[in-house]
Amino acid sequence: MTSHTRRKLRLPDQIPLNPLLDLWDQQEPEGPDATRIYEFYRSLADGKLVTTKCMTCGRVHFPPLIVCPNCNGEDLEWVEIPEEGELYAFTELKLGAPIIVEDYAPFVIAVARFGDYPENGVQISGMMFDIGYEDLEIGERVRWEIMEIEGPGDKKRYWYCFTKV
Amino acid sequence: MIGMREVAIVGAGITRFGVREASWRDLVQEAGKAVFDDVPNLDRKDIDSLFVGAAQPERWVFQTHVAPYVAELLGINVSRVISRTEVACASGQAAIRYAWLAVATGLSDIAMVVGVEKMNSKFMSVSQSSMINVGNREFDGVNGFTAPPFFAMVAQRHMHEFGTTSEQLAMIRVKNSYYGARNPYAQFQKEVTVEKVLGSRMVAPPLTLFDCSAITDGACALILASEERAREFTDTPVWILGGVQHVDSAHTTNQFGDLSHWVGLRKAANDLYSMLKISPEDIDMAEVHDCFTISEILEYEELGFCRKGEGGKFIEEGESYIGGKVAVNPGGGLLSNGHPLGATGVRQAWEMVMQFRGDVPKERYVDGAELGIAHNLSGMAQLHHIMAYSINKRKDLK
Repeated sequence: MTSHTRRKLRLPDQIPLNPLLDLWDQQEPEGPDATRIYEFYRSLADGKLVTTKCMTCGRVHFPPLIVCPNCNGEDLEWVEIPEEGELYAFTELKLGAPIIVEDYAPFVIAVARFGDYPENGVQISGMMFDIGYEDLEIGERVRWEIMEIEGPGDKKRYWYCFTKV
Repeated sequence: MIGMREVAIVGAGITRFGVREASWRDLVQEAGKAVFDDVPNLDRKDIDSLFVGAAQPERWVFQTHVAPYVAELLGINVSRVISRTEVACASGQAAIRYAWLAVATGLSDIAMVVGVEKMNSKFMSVSQSSMINVGNREFDGVNGFTAPPFFAMVAQRHMHEFGTTSEQLAMIRVKNSYYGARNPYAQFQKEVTVEKVLGSRMVAPPLTLFDCSAITDGACALILASEERAREFTDTPVWILGGVQHVDSAHTTNQFGDLSHWVGLRKAANDLYSMLKISPEDIDMAEVHDCFTISEILEYEELGFCRKGEGGKFIEEGESYIGGKVAVNPGGGLLSNGHPLGATGVRQAWEMVMQFRGDVPKERYVDGAELGIAHNLSGMAQLHHIMAYSINKRKDLK
């Protein structure tokens, strides 16, 4: 009894790479993917950009944390990041954008300071759309703005970007 | 440092760097063969420890637990220490540092270091997107904030504060391409001009394509031995004088502070100089981490080769060419060799060994050099690693 038909192993047509390439992942209040800084994401949905401040030593964090790395305190409070800040540095990503936002390239990436950095403020990065490198200058006023992230899947997620004041 | 044994590099081997038609494990075997050919008196059974520098094999070749795999590929039985190091772009020098520590403390007598990275594949955009995870993925990567935009902002701030120019950045590439053109293992072996650099495609202003190092495949391997064993293997041991690392609690933009000052590098350099009781003027050659042209300019300043803010002038006046104040990147740097993350720091040490042996073409030979340093940085330049290499032992330092 001989068979000339080779055994075939049939694999799925598509192996999803989303977990590798989707940068906006941890926005869950419960379950195994939950984050204890969920309040940060809930606030984004409410139109606010917040972070944590340590009530023991006064340190303002970014990203928001659950334990203060300065004093080990756990008494942290959510504080709003001032809406307007100052452009510290920027560039425009023209080549090599991450796959998930490739369609938006080229886009400006900026670093801006909000509040009294570093004592009582934050220095954060953010994308800027519909504007070019030549349209901006160091020291200009920018504000953060909440944006919606749509797809993949049905869940709506939120993030922030910068716009020129 | 008191009580630590002297440690030498007694063998060094490298693969051709570039877009290689070779797998990750092919590269490991090529570098392994090169180093074993370099040390014919070594029986691989004598190697007791193995340190593998590899940054992202999980993502680029989907393989984890790589140190035992390297041991298998090279036929090494490890009886003392085996480890894989990952600190992104400096994974290679970190591997050397831990191998040095193991031999210096007496835990190991003969240790092998292998630095390797396979970055090019048909899934290039996936590979490139994986680089986003070197920074804080959730809070910076999410904004597209990968290495080119970060170093572009460093350049912008340096220009803003110190008047550094795009032409000065281009001169770094011109110098390193001159030496790279004389390095048969380099990815790019063509000389370029300032005009060519300035005219290349814009990646992230003010940085053009030629201001950036490349995505590269390559591997490099070393054999380290204690003072007692070193002479069994070579007449020209290269002594590891010491190594330092520095990071200031920083991984996210909020902790970067001022982009145009690399405080961590200044502190690391000062630590090294006081450890060895040397000053920057004593250094004959330096392999520094020119992942982007602007990086080398900041490195001149923070390593103390020139005053803060005068890095642009330093290259313009030719002080970092062989024959200048200090020969910087006589091997062509990352800009010419390419930057296979885990292999880069090991290649820098390989260059030191070849220089001290006089095994390089005369146009890039730093004649009479006795003391060299290698600087390998990682992430968004928060973490700095420096090692010092010499033809003299630490106790014989002048």
